[in-house]
Amino acid sequence: MFNPHEVISTRTRQALGAVAILGVLAVWSALAGLDIVSQAKLPAPWEVASALGNLAMPNDKGESLLFAATWASLQRVVLAGVLVVVTGVPLGVLMGASPRINALLSPLVDPFRSAPIVAVLPILVMWLGIGELMKTTFLWAGAVVFLVPMVRDAIQAVPRTYYVKAKDLGASDFEAIWHSVFPMAKPRIADAMITAVSVEWTYITVAEYVNAKVGLGQLIQNARRFSAMDQVFAGIFVIIVLALITYQSMVAIKRWRYPWETE
Amino acid sequence: MSVRVELKDIVQEYPSADGEGIVRVVDGVNLVYDKPGIHMLLGPSGCGKSTVLKLMGGVRPDGVVSPSSGEVLIDGKPCDGPHDDAVMVFQQYANFPHLSAYDNVAFPFKLKLWKNRVPAGERDARIKEVLTAVGLGDKLHHRPSQLSGGQNQRLALAQALVLRPRILLMDEPFGALDAQTRAEMQDLLVDLWREQQCLIVFVTHDITEALLLGDRVTILSTKPARVAREFDITEPRPRSDLWLRSTEANRLESEILDLLKEGNVRGGGQVRVTI
Ligand SMILES: Nc1ncnc2c1ncn2[C@@H]1O[C@H](COP(=O)(O)OP(=O)(O)OP(=O)(O)O)[C@@H](O)[C@H]1O
Ligand SMILES: [Mg+2]
Repeated sequence: MFNPHEVISTRTRQALGAVAILGVLAVWSALAGLDIVSQAKLPAPWEVASALGNLAMPNDKGESLLFAATWASLQRVVLAGVLVVVTGVPLGVLMGASPRINALLSPLVDPFRSAPIVAVLPILVMWLGIGELMKTTFLWAGAVVFLVPMVRDAIQAVPRTYYVKAKDLGASDFEAIWHSVFPMAKPRIADAMITAVSVEWTYITVAEYVNAKVGLGQLIQNARRFSAMDQVFAGIFVIIVLALITYQSMVAIKRWRYPWETE
Repeated sequence: MSVRVELKDIVQEYPSADGEGIVRVVDGVNLVYDKPGIHMLLGPSGCGKSTVLKLMGGVRPDGVVSPSSGEVLIDGKPCDGPHDDAVMVFQQYANFPHLSAYDNVAFPFKLKLWKNRVPAGERDARIKEVLTAVGLGDKLHHRPSQLSGGQNQRLALAQALVLRPRILLMDEPFGALDAQTRAEMQDLLVDLWREQQCLIVFVTHDITEALLLGDRVTILSTKPARVAREFDITEPRPRSDLWLRSTEANRLESEILDLLKEGNVRGGGQVRVTI
């Protein structure tokens, strides 16, 4: 039972996972279905499912609310994710490769890992207004403060011998980092990217609380205003599913690109 | 081929483990290698062999002045970093896990230095030739994780040999191998050296290995390291087991053993014995 290295079959793993989910669904159904918890507080699973269906259906204007909201949120997450990666990875690599650059920049980055990023939102609204610029900046800032230190650590975790070997073979500092250290750090950098992009999904609702015309966060916010708890649950459900898909597909890409990491 | 590596009064000190004082690990080492050959650097474990060899290779420890005093000269010129013509094979080989055997050997050609020195058209043939020479001709596309320890060591050697360096610095390259593989690798080195005569400095703590391979065997004393004695061996390679059992070899072996026994080692004296 307690052996961290035990190999369990896919079947066992899936069965155990299903048990947990079905267990929660059963308790949830009982609580809601038997009216132990009032409907206004806890909609039953089937009510959430039907809310999901209704939201997905085209309305009288012929558009699906859920689809539009998902599409808008997805675009924001992808845009912010790309920005986070193209700024955060080079910065982290630079900081990892040079203790001097790290000493210079880490006071600007590290403290913000534990900063209450949500509390920063009003400031961003003040500075950047309530449009897309503010939302993208917020999503970017929330994730980049995680990504940069993780990328730096990934570079620093590459055993020194690889740098020394490249230098001995006549590499310049740049060549030693670019050809020897950086490729070795790629799997851990990929892990960092996966974490950073996953974080975007948790921040998207916050970003969309302020003046979003459309988006999953806006959908949830709106539903709550009208006490449509089933729709709130439906919105949360969609976000969780999207985050899972994002995570799993990025992990799959990483495994495919860097099969040597676990060898 | 003219080649010259010289250590002049090399002293290396490190901060002591408690951080209070300093420890002198190498104390006034003088060495001159002035012709191609296999030169063995022999000393007890922890005596400072790697330290001395890395100094020759220009690989300096981080955060320590190195050498504390003295000079490394290559071809008569002072040298304080990795020299373009000196290639090291490290005690712990560091093959790239994400590259195939072929790409590991091709790695130096990603660097400007070797791009300029070796024409692109020549590289592929060289890589295949050297991999075949070390017995990995059928493993071009294997990754290091798919190779055994001995094969990885061969790969590390191939990566150095492909550059045809004038100076090859090897730090106990066969130290981690089983007896059988080690013997194979020693034969391989003897063969390869005949083809490509360069100056090899080979660190070992194995007396038999030193006798089997060396044109010269330099004994280092321990704590601190000094040159205790240098032996020239004129017996041609490959050296047979018969020779290893000869009175000549036995006498050499027991002399070296005596020198290595702690207390017997008084550094400084540079007696050259030729047999
Ligand atoms: N960077 C360093 N800082 C402090 N002490 C060091 C450092 N490098 C080596 N030493 C010390 O110097 C001594 C010699 O080390 P070195 O690695 O040169 O020995 P060696 O002869 O190669 O040993 P082995 O046969 O085990 O490889 C050791 O006592 C070691 O602890
Ligand atoms: Mg050593």
